[in-house]
Amino acid sequence: MAASAVAFWHTSSLFSLFLLFPVVTANENTTSYNFNTTVFGEQNVTFNFTDNYTTTPPTEFDSTTPTPSSSSTDEPVQPTLPTEPLPVSGRLLTPVTSVDRLCPCDEHKDVCDINCCCDRECNEEVALFTGCSVDAVSSGNKQLCSRDVASYALRTTIDGYSELQSSIQKETNYDILCIQTQNRVDGFSHPSPALPTDSNFDSLFKQFTSFLFGSEENSGQASTAELQASSGYQYGDVMVTAGVSGQRGMFWLPAPSVTADCMDSSPAAFLKDQSSRCSRNVVLEQDCSTLLALSMGTYTSIQLFAGKNKDAAVVPVEVASVVLQSVDGTQTELQISGGENLSPALLNPTLCANVVLKVAYVIKYNPAGEIVNVAVSLVLGFFSEAALPLEQEFHITFIQENVGEVAIHYSGNPGYVVGLPLVSASRTADGIVRSIDPRDTLSLLHSAEDQDCLQGPQQRSPVLFGLDSVSGCTLRLEDAANCSLVFQVLLDVLRGPNYPQYVASFGNSPLDYPLDWVPIKNDFSPGESCSIPLSLHLEIEWTKYGSLVNPQAQIVSIKEVIQTNTTSLEMLTGGSSVLSISSSVAFIPVSAAALPGYRAMPTIDAKLPFDFFFPFV
Amino acid sequence: MAFYEVYSHPALLRYKTSVCTKATVFVVVVLCLTYIPPLLVAYRSQGFWIKRSTYEEQPVVRFQYQTLLVAATSPQGDYVAWSTFPYLNNMLGANLRIPSISVREEDQNQDGKLDFLTLQLQLPLKPEEQVYSVQLLLTFSYQLFRMSTVVMQSLAYVQHSSSVPGAKLFISGDLRLQQRTPLPHRGLYNIYNVSVIDGSSPFASAYDLDNIIGSYQDRNLTTVLSCPMPVWTVGRAAGSPFQLNAEIRYPIEVISYRPGFWETIKFAWIQYVSVLLIFLWVFERIQRFVFQNQVLTTVPIPVGKPHLS
Repeated sequence: MAASAVAFWHTSSLFSLFLLFPVVTANENTTSYNFNTTVFGEQNVTFNFTDNYTTTPPTEFDSTTPTPSSSSTDEPVQPTLPTEPLPVSGRLLTPVTSVDRLCPCDEHKDVCDINCCCDRECNEEVALFTGCSVDAVSSGNKQLCSRDVASYALRTTIDGYSELQSSIQKETNYDILCIQTQNRVDGFSHPSPALPTDSNFDSLFKQFTSFLFGSEENSGQASTAELQASSGYQYGDVMVTAGVSGQRGMFWLPAPSVTADCMDSSPAAFLKDQSSRCSRNVVLEQDCSTLLALSMGTYTSIQLFAGKNKDAAVVPVEVASVVLQSVDGTQTELQISGGENLSPALLNPTLCANVVLKVAYVIKYNPAGEIVNVAVSLVLGFFSEAALPLEQEFHITFIQENVGEVAIHYSGNPGYVVGLPLVSASRTADGIVRSIDPRDTLSLLHSAEDQDCLQGPQQRSPVLFGLDSVSGCTLRLEDAANCSLVFQVLLDVLRGPNYPQYVASFGNSPLDYPLDWVPIKNDFSPGESCSIPLSLHLEIEWTKYGSLVNPQAQIVSIKEVIQTNTTSLEMLTGGSSVLSISSSVAFIPVSAAALPGYRAMPTIDAKLPFDFFFPFV
Repeated sequence: MAFYEVYSHPALLRYKTSVCTKATVFVVVVLCLTYIPPLLVAYRSQGFWIKRSTYEEQPVVRFQYQTLLVAATSPQGDYVAWSTFPYLNNMLGANLRIPSISVREEDQNQDGKLDFLTLQLQLPLKPEEQVYSVQLLLTFSYQLFRMSTVVMQSLAYVQHSSSVPGAKLFISGDLRLQQRTPLPHRGLYNIYNVSVIDGSSPFASAYDLDNIIGSYQDRNLTTVLSCPMPVWTVGRAAGSPFQLNAEIRYPIEVISYRPGFWETIKFAWIQYVSVLLIFLWVFERIQRFVFQNQVLTTVPIPVGKPHLS
């Protein structure tokens, strides 16, 4: 075995930067490197170097001749770690400074490097050289007044071959401020690093490797096994499920992440209401009956642990409702009798039935952080090959036990909060009545893909406080022939079902304060001639109420403006036979400009500008 | 014999008056007119109090070795992704594609501050896959020391998409600092020394690029990768990986800050005094005229050596 450890020293001329390249050969047959022109594929190169380092590094280093100081390493060295220093580090080496020994281009051991004029192996080959890749090697810093420079040059002889001319000269620096003598040897070199030993290795490692790949503390292990003292969940905790054979898992709620695709293994957090829509790319024939994410059982056959500890009770998921959605979008609630097979089935090669489209969990919890009840509502429907990727919707809401069936959502307390839906109500014989669903309120038409006002169930989006918005649909002229009928239909489409009469002036106006409810003003009277509404515009005037620091938004008036056509429809369309109908809402602040009454800055009566004494006051 | 001036010295003339005279009023008015108007002039000509100043510094930047890569592999929206966050990798499931990455940070001018990051990423692809778009997110640790000590974690985001499948994307750009408001002139500013991506979160929403970029852009101090010319090379050979080569430089930044009290005073003082000198000269001439010609009655003390008694 000719295993040997050879250390090459390369010194860069300017910075005396020392790099150690331990080249270790383990087997006899690798002593001669394979210089065949075999091109290895990048994928299948295997390295079989074994790390046999010698603990006794050469005392003197030469760039050309290897020092035969390697110990016999026939059997692999089993390093019995001495206390210090660590075996690999050994002693620090003294740098080579004599110029004639330095050769940065000598990269092949015992072989002549072509055009490397300082390579000592090149005796005969010099004749073939065409130039010197390194023509001057200097020692020491440029700031020194004199330093040795070894220069190499080629001369062409009469017979056409090259001849090496090398010389070592003293180069003098004529700068006024140069360094004559240098008694601090380490002034021009890097400070010698601390030797790694058993005791200081960890601290050195920490000091020099702040960031690196794979430095993540957690290795992605699911923290389900984590058992804590408190039995209940806390805000943001991952909920634990019980598998069939009692193993613990996590309660997943698919959500989009880096893309809009569903990430099935995203956990749901305790007390964090979440609603997400994500898409799923499926192969219809393959996945219709096999993909778990499409079948209802995946979402209903879950059992959750009420708390975090092991002996917590198991709460099964109850199916609260199942709604079947037909191909054209109409929904019917299914009476759950337990007999039906609601697993996805391929009806024909392009249509898959009973696919989960929407999942809504309602989790009831008690103040101890334990889950009391889990109910799930599902929407099952069809999806066809044309509607790929499939969109699924997931909701999870948390409600506290014993606080009524569903807490009433306010849109502010007391003033409206920007982005929350307006609170609307209608008057009945009993007084003012409002729906408990916060989304069942004053709403605008939501633009749909077919754009036709008269077609199908219209999607609606609630009017959110503070957000001006516009949307619309189109009306084809041929549909508008029976204008009295179209008039009524369009009005219903624009106003939406359950059009309210009142809007709460504050976000939390109680129903038994009739003065808190602002009637929707409407000065629209259907014209005598054949007119159809072209637009519905809601003008909501609001003001700031209360203190300057914490102003509350209050709605003072709301007006519905309906514009009808005054000329013939053909004129309006301009010949395109398609009429655009729009609905819009505008929030107009009518509050008087706030006057800073009590928080007035101390003013200087000389009418100086406010920042005249800027750094002082 | 011609005479020449062999020596000269100014003589001090004294004018005396009592307190309740016109001369006293005149002197007080002149004093006010000398010292207050320069302040007004200096202020009204703008820039009296400096409120924003700049300095240059090369930041200490370290790549944090946190990466998130998303590549669209078909026009239909199939994708592969990879990150250094184990939770996200677990969630990605079949879409996880682990690339091979090599990174090197280099200090080119040996000043102890890194100048340059090269990142080479090779994303292996299946035969039916092609890369149409790439989103790459890298995190950095960013530090400034000269005025206020700024320690923050920042982000570089690369997004490139093309309708033609690519073989290679080459990015060479600068990691620039963007600030909305000036930094304080001293103290520690480490409110942004928090993870840009919460790698310890098991929830999918933590890795939503909308959330990450949205909350990142909310910050006063951000870094942005300015790469005006990404190079998208088409023509990938079957079986070869998609390559992404990035060169990110950490250039010297011009950072604006709010000057401290003494710096503000120093510059205001210069402006005030330079205007004051003119006023002093003008009113000196006026006063001399008034008192020399006895426009206002005063008692001049005669020049001459007072008698030693």
